[in-house]
Amino acid sequence: MNDNKYLELNICHLYPDLLNVYGDIGNILILKCRAEKRGVKVNIFNISMGDTFDSEEYDIVFFGGGQDYEQSIVSKDLNETKKFALNEYIQNGRVFLSICGGYQLLGKYYTTPEGEKLPGLEILDIYTEAGNTRFIGNTAIYNEEFKETYVGFENHSGRTYIGTLKPFGKVIAGYGNNGEDGYEGCIYKNSYCTYFHGSLLSKNPELADRLIKTALERKYGDTIELEPLDDSLELKAKKYILENRK
Amino acid sequence: MKLSKNLFKGGSNFPGRVALKLDSNVLKTISADYKVIVITGTNGKTTTTSMVYNMIKDSGKKVISNNTGANMLPGITACFIENFSFSKDSQEKYAVIEADEANLKLVTKYITPEIITVTNLFRDQLDRYGEVYTTLKKILEGIEKVPSSKLVLNGDESLLGDLGLANKCIYYGFETSLDSNIKIDVNADAKFCKKCKSPYKYNFLTYNHLGNFYCDTCGYKRPELKYFTNEIIELTPEGSLVEINNNQYFINIPGTYNIYNALCAFTIAKEIGIDNSVIFNSLKSQKSSFGRQEVIDIEGKQVKIILVKNPAGYDQAISTVSLDNRKINLAVLLNDNYADGRDVSWIWDVKFEKLSTLNIDKILISGLRLYDMAIRLKTAGLPEEKFIVTESYEELLKGLIGSQGKIVYILATYTAMISFRKFLKTKGYIKELW
Repeated sequence: MNDNKYLELNICHLYPDLLNVYGDIGNILILKCRAEKRGVKVNIFNISMGDTFDSEEYDIVFFGGGQDYEQSIVSKDLNETKKFALNEYIQNGRVFLSICGGYQLLGKYYTTPEGEKLPGLEILDIYTEAGNTRFIGNTAIYNEEFKETYVGFENHSGRTYIGTLKPFGKVIAGYGNNGEDGYEGCIYKNSYCTYFHGSLLSKNPELADRLIKTALERKYGDTIELEPLDDSLELKAKKYILENRK
Repeated sequence: MKLSKNLFKGGSNFPGRVALKLDSNVLKTISADYKVIVITGTNGKTTTTSMVYNMIKDSGKKVISNNTGANMLPGITACFIENFSFSKDSQEKYAVIEADEANLKLVTKYITPEIITVTNLFRDQLDRYGEVYTTLKKILEGIEKVPSSKLVLNGDESLLGDLGLANKCIYYGFETSLDSNIKIDVNADAKFCKKCKSPYKYNFLTYNHLGNFYCDTCGYKRPELKYFTNEIIELTPEGSLVEINNNQYFINIPGTYNIYNALCAFTIAKEIGIDNSVIFNSLKSQKSSFGRQEVIDIEGKQVKIILVKNPAGYDQAISTVSLDNRKINLAVLLNDNYADGRDVSWIWDVKFEKLSTLNIDKILISGLRLYDMAIRLKTAGLPEEKFIVTESYEELLKGLIGSQGKIVYILATYTAMISFRKFLKTKGYIKELW
């Protein structure tokens, strides 16, 4: 295994002061903790209102969900200051994780319950429409490519349609993107989008390591092997959801 | 079976449910003789209700209360039924009623309170309540029905200023800071001006987003305070010595959040004409409410149970535990039943990292979602070799008794607290469940 001592990860948290409900900040804490256990130095950058986003500076970007009030503030700022650079970052295949509101904002548009069409960043060919009920509960999906099961908690009224994009997983329990097609989230290049809170990475350590590994390999242009960690607690937490899913 | 379960559940809702079925106007009739004080908001309802109840009782007036946490319409109705008497007396009577945020509008449909108080608004079990703005909207719907009720509001809560209501508003808050911090935590709630969406600035912060706030852009700022904490003299694990409106009081339960609760109760008491000396004695002997820092003796260990249900409250519980510089043990119980919130994501918004500076012997982790909690504490950098992760309360108790030091803090979500107290009762460590 390579000497991780000289490895460094720059993690960007987008709008941590505005998009911060449902404990999504846990994903940042877990990435940091798991990378540091492998001797990787981690730097966290909080990028928010009025800040410019440099598409070359970060190895992992996290984009969470917020309350409607805060999301309306973000939507304006995104289009004014970060749209172009974020598109470049994602198209360049850098690692991007977006949850709930962040996921919706990457698409073409979001239609509110009142029928108003709010423009998204138009980075992904997806769209979201408000539904009249909320999808709330524990959820589990299976990703066929990685042969992995992910669990989390969903809480959203938006119905997202991902067109021809690859889903994040097939729904085992819960509602998924729209409650109709049986799929949850989407994957585009190295961008992962999902409705899973929980925090997502707290019970899906395989995914956390996949993000870290991909980011390091992309940065250093070399194969990186991450030393395994004791994930017995994480796997027991996952098992609880799989056995008590409802 | 369901019936008896409901009947013997603490703060029984059952008589209330039956009565409401028979006559939906019943609440109006049976509450008619009372001056009603309603207490709502995210955190501090039960403790504030208990404080106001004690102050009124200590002042020699007649008072009733639903102080068992049964704060939905049936529980509130049940409280009036239990105290109903057909014979009229002319004595002044008060009812101090804790009301769930979403139930306030059901209460004000039948009752016009003398006073309605809103303690604070924090993110709380988002799968049940929704976001803080949704909760505020629900509360305002309830208040709009009763324009003659006086409002007692937390002035340090930026969501509660300038409500644009017909009601008379009295504000309380802090005129002194606890520390020099003026930078709001990145993960706090309601950081952006409710009028113009610019970030608030603070002369000082007390906790989460509470404090002396102002908006540079539109000029919205904290309203003028009629009642205020003007000095913090001492904070200990037993209580707080403070000055309120320039008089000294000892609040017999610790933590900054309980200073707010005491200040809120003080404001209500003053507004209904209770003397300072009564308030002084009442706060000095205030006992913890059920599961709110209740102290239990287990084999010579002093075990304190603190109810935790959302990030703001949990952070305050951690700050309060942090006042203790003795060797302590922690038991952390996390459930995900409906009353706890099915979603446990919120534990990631709690700053468990702060615990790492304490002198802790054992960290006992239990409850239905014990593994989620163990992952959270591990990620916070707490030493795993101190963890006892167990689904069994027997094992938990064994670990607790076998730990070093005399002090144990139990931080538990609602149903975890209930079930652990039941377990302690079967073991003979507590006598009364409710």
